[in-house]
Amino acid sequence: MRLFIRDQLWFLLLFVFQLTLLLLIFWLDGYWNPWVVAYAGFLCLFFAAVYLLIRYLTHRLIYQRLSTPVDALEEVMQPLGNAPLARALDESYQRHYRLYSEQLHRYEQKQREHNTFIQQWVHQMKTPLSVIQLLLQDQDDSQSDSVREELDRLKRGLETVLYLSRLDRFDRDFVIEPVSLRSLVQQVLSENKRLFIRNEVYPELRVDAQWLVASDEKWLSFVLNQLITNAVRYSAGKSRKVSFVAYRRGTSVALEVIDYGIGIPKQDLQRVFQPYFTGENGRKYTESTGMGLYLVREICSRLDHAVELESEPGKGTIVRILFTTEIPTLQ
Amino acid sequence: MSTIMIVEDDPKIVQLLKAQLEKYGYDAAEVTQFDRVLEDFTERNPDLVLLDVNLPKYDGFYWCRQIRSVSTCPILFISARDSKMDQVMALENGADDYITKPFDYDVVLAKIGSQLRRAYGMYASPNKERKIEVAGLALYPERLELGYQEQKVELSKKEALLLELLLSQSPRVVSRERLLEKLWDEQFVDENTLNVYITRMRAKLKELNLDGVIETVRGAGYRLKVTWGDDDAPLHS
Repeated sequence: MRLFIRDQLWFLLLFVFQLTLLLLIFWLDGYWNPWVVAYAGFLCLFFAAVYLLIRYLTHRLIYQRLSTPVDALEEVMQPLGNAPLARALDESYQRHYRLYSEQLHRYEQKQREHNTFIQQWVHQMKTPLSVIQLLLQDQDDSQSDSVREELDRLKRGLETVLYLSRLDRFDRDFVIEPVSLRSLVQQVLSENKRLFIRNEVYPELRVDAQWLVASDEKWLSFVLNQLITNAVRYSAGKSRKVSFVAYRRGTSVALEVIDYGIGIPKQDLQRVFQPYFTGENGRKYTESTGMGLYLVREICSRLDHAVELESEPGKGTIVRILFTTEIPTLQ
Repeated sequence: MSTIMIVEDDPKIVQLLKAQLEKYGYDAAEVTQFDRVLEDFTERNPDLVLLDVNLPKYDGFYWCRQIRSVSTCPILFISARDSKMDQVMALENGADDYITKPFDYDVVLAKIGSQLRRAYGMYASPNKERKIEVAGLALYPERLELGYQEQKVELSKKEALLLELLLSQSPRVVSRERLLEKLWDEQFVDENTLNVYITRMRAKLKELNLDGVIETVRGAGYRLKVTWGDDDAPLHS
């Protein structure tokens, strides 16, 4: 309504001006019959009101659309009415929409191709990694140890790329099933044993075998991998322990990854889950890409797990994953 | 001797796997023409197939189905693809197990052993019992025994693992990291535990009248040093 009034403001001003002009002519002419003057004034007002009313009614949808923000593209495509202006607008919106969606489609296509390429490329890179790993297996000297270390880093990096590019088609690539937290954590820990040993950090496992949660093993183990990498990296040289604890909290099961390392500065806490955010710790530790925790949050939200993070600089960090449904153990 | 067919298009992986398999007493056959895998299969009639997923022409799933139409022999996939879907696909196309790249020899060998055992009832290592010997000091990893000059001591599983590493690397130094990695199975082991194991192993060696055999190399790790006899050439078998 406000937009309508503002839109018609010039018309109203012109109308008032015309009306006064009319009355002025009557008056200057000396022909001053109050009834006729009032009648003429009334007629003018009446037609102007009818015009505004019709105008408002036929263009109501346009004014409404223009003054309320839209949330979905589909809303824009609702027809605006039969008035010529409404029809013209409709057509123009449709043309824009078509152009826009064509462009979007092209980009999606490109993005998909890019993702496919990245995934294929990562897989191709895994073959030379395998070869190097196999070649190294019979070697046991400090030099091959350090090559193995670099190999681990490469592997971790490739995994991150792979999972990031997979995130797009997440819905086609996950299976929810009962997962035993204890054996999953154990498995991921053993995959990371070199990382722990090298940094002289040792895991402490306080996860009972009873905790079964509904999740996807593959994605969850990737999440744990990320958390472990962070926990170990930020503990190295400061604390020798990283704890894994599971317990019941209300209706859900919580799994905590606790380190007693350097912690996260307060000003960074709000932003650690943002993509590419590396913060102060990231500047100290060159390996951060800022994608780890972002991926953790993204994957968990898709798996329907909540993530919480508590940290105190100098004391350590707790990352907690809350699993909504616990699957009763089958007897 | 079991024959294992390797269907993999990376020549280096084939070569490494082949060498390793032969070391463990298997007969390894590689496929060179990827459009006639099935012909090769029927010709060689292997006991087990290692199959890659990404192959030129047809993929591993296709060849798996083809092989399944003529044979029930164990088929193990080796692939860089590690999504759940790929694994499900493999199993649905008739595979028996799935190994993701990059892999360790240990895993491949263990899985091959278990598949052969299941399919043919043959026992894991086609070799005779393993024996690792350095200058008369012999370790029998399967029996958990260490012998020297008619004398024998029993070992725990972990002690045997550590000694196997030390003996096979002798006279080179084995780093603490490497030893810890070996120990680290389901339980997580810290440096103190490693110290305890080293002490116990020294005690056991002392029972065999061998003293000062495990030498601490500062900042590097441990070394098994031949301090006895005159035959100091390391023997492996």
